[in-house]
Amino acid sequence: MVEATTSTLDGPHGPSLGARVAARQLSQRRAAYILLAPLLIFFGVSVLYPVFETIRLSFFEIKGLAPPKPVGLGNYVKLWNDENFLRALRVTFYWSFSATFFSVAIGWALAMACALKPKETMIFRVLIFAAYGVSEAVVGFIWLGIYRPDYGLLNGILGGLGLEHLQQAWLGNPATALTAVIVAYVWTQVGLPLMTCFASIQSIPRSYFEAAYIDGAKPISMMRHIVMPLSLPGVRVAIFINLLQSLKAFDLIYMLTGGGPVRTTETVGFFMFRESMLNFKLGYGAASTVVLLVAVLIVSTPLIAQRTRAVK
Amino acid sequence: MIGKTPVWVLPVVALVALIWIVPLIGLVMISIRPLAETTLGWWNLSEVSFTLEAWRTVWDKFPLAYATWVSTKIAVISTLIPMIMAPAAAYAFHFLSFPMRRVLLLIIVNAFVLPNQVVVIPLFLLWRDLGMIDNIWSVIIPFAGLSFAWSVFLVKNYLEDFPTDLIEAAQIDACGPIARFFYIVLPNMLTPIAAVAILQFMWTWNGLLLPVVFLREELPLPALLARVQGVYDNNFDQVAVAAIITTIVPLAIFVIFQRYFTAGAQTKTGSKE
Repeated sequence: MVEATTSTLDGPHGPSLGARVAARQLSQRRAAYILLAPLLIFFGVSVLYPVFETIRLSFFEIKGLAPPKPVGLGNYVKLWNDENFLRALRVTFYWSFSATFFSVAIGWALAMACALKPKETMIFRVLIFAAYGVSEAVVGFIWLGIYRPDYGLLNGILGGLGLEHLQQAWLGNPATALTAVIVAYVWTQVGLPLMTCFASIQSIPRSYFEAAYIDGAKPISMMRHIVMPLSLPGVRVAIFINLLQSLKAFDLIYMLTGGGPVRTTETVGFFMFRESMLNFKLGYGAASTVVLLVAVLIVSTPLIAQRTRAVK
Repeated sequence: MIGKTPVWVLPVVALVALIWIVPLIGLVMISIRPLAETTLGWWNLSEVSFTLEAWRTVWDKFPLAYATWVSTKIAVISTLIPMIMAPAAAYAFHFLSFPMRRVLLLIIVNAFVLPNQVVVIPLFLLWRDLGMIDNIWSVIIPFAGLSFAWSVFLVKNYLEDFPTDLIEAAQIDACGPIARFFYIVLPNMLTPIAAVAILQFMWTWNGLLLPVVFLREELPLPALLARVQGVYDNNFDQVAVAAIITTIVPLAIFVIFQRYFTAGAQTKTGSKE
């Protein structure tokens, strides 16, 4: 485009090599900015600006519409002494690690089982994976029905098995509420490790199994020595995605318990929602998300390093 | 795999899958049986009759049709934006040289780890000052902005295998950088664009936090469901219908196109082993 027009203006011998290269670079630069501009505007408004603004707001006390009052590290000191926040932080980590562990463990085991009969188990994989596509709002409604103290499915099953003494208000009891929410969450999340691990196993060259078979290996030892180590890439992907997703958890808690009973199921995400959107302490809420951001960055450093390396 | 596979595999996987869909079966059962029968538990089969009563009344009680329309608008626009912008950006990052290229790319790609709670408070203040609370764009803009991290990465990963001969041939034919994108690269990128579209549509349709905070009356389906469930008590059959309507669109898209999703999940983190 630009190259073609400039060359006609440069006399009979054409422009020098240096001028042509410079013109090409200029046109590339302009094209790049034209193509990138819309994305950069959206990204700036909805990601960069809020991140820096959150950090700035976390140093202010904001009450309703009154002008923000700078409090330095006051919000952070308050968070450090706020039992509810410390509990939310603990709940977030407990929630994230246990949900990720169980989702990946179950998904991986299922993927290995399914890989033994890939064609026959296809429909079952899709059924289990389907839970991943269900909105967390709907998941909340479904699992409320399961945990209902009076006619919930779980208490119904326990009753049918003659285990009436185990029946309880699963979401109302502080001792069981968090576990109950995590179980519902794991139900939705297992599909992802199942898919990534299964894809990893499918990409193992067939010749490995043939060689092992000729050497007289049994399916179980093939599992142990070929499938398990070679499906680790899929496991790694699933761990990272599940872990990052669960650190952001909010939707399901909002639907199932609203953080209760007595704030035992409150994650940092929900703490932020309560402090800033329900109690209107925006600066305090902002400080809590900054702590969450730092925690997520620490947990995801290996992932960031990996992605950064892949960026050429 | 080679050799005889153990016989237990199929029954065990089938059993797990069955347990896995029990909650969904329950949802459907509650919606198509009379409320009186299912209050004792939908699995109670002592008396079974079929009714579409809940499916009929739910439309009068909840603004479901309107919420479906809002959900559709939000999800479609929030999906179209990265579908158009991410390939353009990925092309610029991959094939064009310009100052700050690497730094910008690193910032965008690494935003993947950003918890979306971090953007909520400043955007809430911004929308409030701009009078954009309850405007669907208050949700669409962050939905789109937060998607760029993985969508740019996914498309760019795909471009690694793009034949450079094609680009060079076009360049020799005096095809400019922007024309090269529209005529050569874009038509050959339908696979990653489809992956971006499916994932983004599902996430934006199902999203709850941003609509709950930024919207009041213009509620998409999940937010409406959250509100309805908190208000009414004895109409599980109707809430079940609303839940089915909320989930049917993303679920259908998801099950039909799940192959693309796996491709996305694998490339999304940069692991190409």
